[in-house]
Amino acid sequence: MQNERTVVDGLRLAVRAMVYAVLGGAALIAIATVVSVLGPMLAIDLYTPPVAAWWTVFTAVAVQGVPFLLLGTVVSAAIGAFVPERVFTRLLPRNQALAVPIAGAAGVVLPGCECASVPVASSLMRRGVAPAAALAFLLSAPAINPVVLVATSIAFPGQPKMVLGRLVASLATAVVMGWLWARFGREEWLRLPKRTRTTASSPAGMKAFVAGLQHDFLHAGGFLVLGAAAAATFNIAVPRSILDIFTGSSWLSLLLLALLAVVLCVCSEADAFVAASLSGFSPAAKLAFMVVGPMVDLKLIALQAGTFGRSFALRFSSTTWLVAVTSSTLVGWWLL
Amino acid sequence: MRRYGSAVLLLLTGGAVLRISLFSDLYLRYVQAALRPYLVISGSLLMLLGAVAAIRGMSHRDHEEEEEEEDGHSHGSHGPRIAWLLTLPALALLLFPPPALGSYSAGREQAQLAAQGVGTFPALPAAKVLDISVAQYSSRAVYDTGHSLKGRTVRMTGFVTHGSNGTWYVTRLVVTCCAADATTSKVEIRGTESDDAPQTDTWVTVTGTWLPKGKLGTDGAWPPLLDAKTVTQVKEPADPYEKR
Repeated sequence: MQNERTVVDGLRLAVRAMVYAVLGGAALIAIATVVSVLGPMLAIDLYTPPVAAWWTVFTAVAVQGVPFLLLGTVVSAAIGAFVPERVFTRLLPRNQALAVPIAGAAGVVLPGCECASVPVASSLMRRGVAPAAALAFLLSAPAINPVVLVATSIAFPGQPKMVLGRLVASLATAVVMGWLWARFGREEWLRLPKRTRTTASSPAGMKAFVAGLQHDFLHAGGFLVLGAAAAATFNIAVPRSILDIFTGSSWLSLLLLALLAVVLCVCSEADAFVAASLSGFSPAAKLAFMVVGPMVDLKLIALQAGTFGRSFALRFSSTTWLVAVTSSTLVGWWLL
Repeated sequence: MRRYGSAVLLLLTGGAVLRISLFSDLYLRYVQAALRPYLVISGSLLMLLGAVAAIRGMSHRDHEEEEEEEDGHSHGSHGPRIAWLLTLPALALLLFPPPALGSYSAGREQAQLAAQGVGTFPALPAAKVLDISVAQYSSRAVYDTGHSLKGRTVRMTGFVTHGSNGTWYVTRLVVTCCAADATTSKVEIRGTESDDAPQTDTWVTVTGTWLPKGKLGTDGAWPPLLDAKTVTQVKEPADPYEKR
């Protein structure tokens, strides 16, 4: 009986595989034929230089994001599958007001750009870390890790105050946002991703790790692509020469660079170089560009909307933007 | 398709990443060179995950699948729906890899004079003909109070862009992280008849000497000039961008 069952199952599997291969093959051939006939005709009309540049920037942002996103999802899936909840309750103080700055400072350990931090923060929340602390980590990790700080010091040679300013302003923003959330945040704004199989408290091992990894990567990857499309569109649609109009007023220029950081979505390891190349802007404005960029940009808003829900992403990003601008203004005025 | 959705997406994405990083140098059109090992690792890991998902999909019994569909929205085992967006960049990279950024991007982004102030630069290596990057030449020409370019014959490679009044430039984009952060540097080429100027976007190697212009560190010194002795057309280099 048992044997028959496995034979039947095996047969069924083989037949199914063959059917899929034939159907899939036929579909592929059909697509390839249509594409190879229509493709060149369409390509000539549609492949103008701006469209080509759009595709290049779009794929570039996506390709550049993949390793970091994967790093983030590996860490997050590992936290979900192997780290028991009590580790975090022991590491972080019960008092949220204290836990927030510690979590913010812990951002130093995740060497990646902002794509990596969203999945990690979400898995920290699922593991019972207070949302306020996890959000402080989410904001600080891409801004103050060693890779980013070294890149900043290379981009601004002989200006160690820029590096210090970036560290202070970013950390301050992250901690203030954590405290704000602890004080005013509401649970119902935050839609934590439900994980079906794993129960909340106990780690579930290798199988959960792989499943979590697949799911998290695909989910965040989709939003990364969405963000990349938005970034490429702005990159192509907004000419940089628009910046020259605003260099006169230091207030306007600071706000303008803070907005530019949102739409350009330059990865946090590269934004120091872009900031350095924006001549004619005050150091405080450049600082604002580097503080806002890793915390609020289109790609991140898309990723956060996917992970925590749209209503959270909009509230959180707009508040973060305001706090980041304020803190970089203050720090810029004090240090630079 | 539902059951194999995750597998297909992971395999496509992994395949696309491996195609541009492991099997060709195409990744250099999009990201900096140092990212290659991470791309190869990511691509392999994604292929592995895709294979696991495919095997799991095949051995799944039908009744198990039904249980998991209860959730109703996009969190079942077939992967979230938004993930299908990944097919866009993946198929683009597999079928028609987008070209490197060229004159269009260089032209719309007005190359700027980075206000770093003048100063001295480290000594250039001794060589009869000095290979130098467009960015390096520009910053030495505009900022170097030690005039390290004086009397040197230099050689640089870039693509051609045209200005007004028949001027033309050897241009190169500088990429730090990925193509989204490209900045432009360019050198105006003198000493050739304007009719000889190659077509926009052709790649050339130019050999020549520095022509001083304007006061150091001011707008007048920019863009720097090069008195060209020879201009030869070359193939687009594997790495179309310059490193900072």
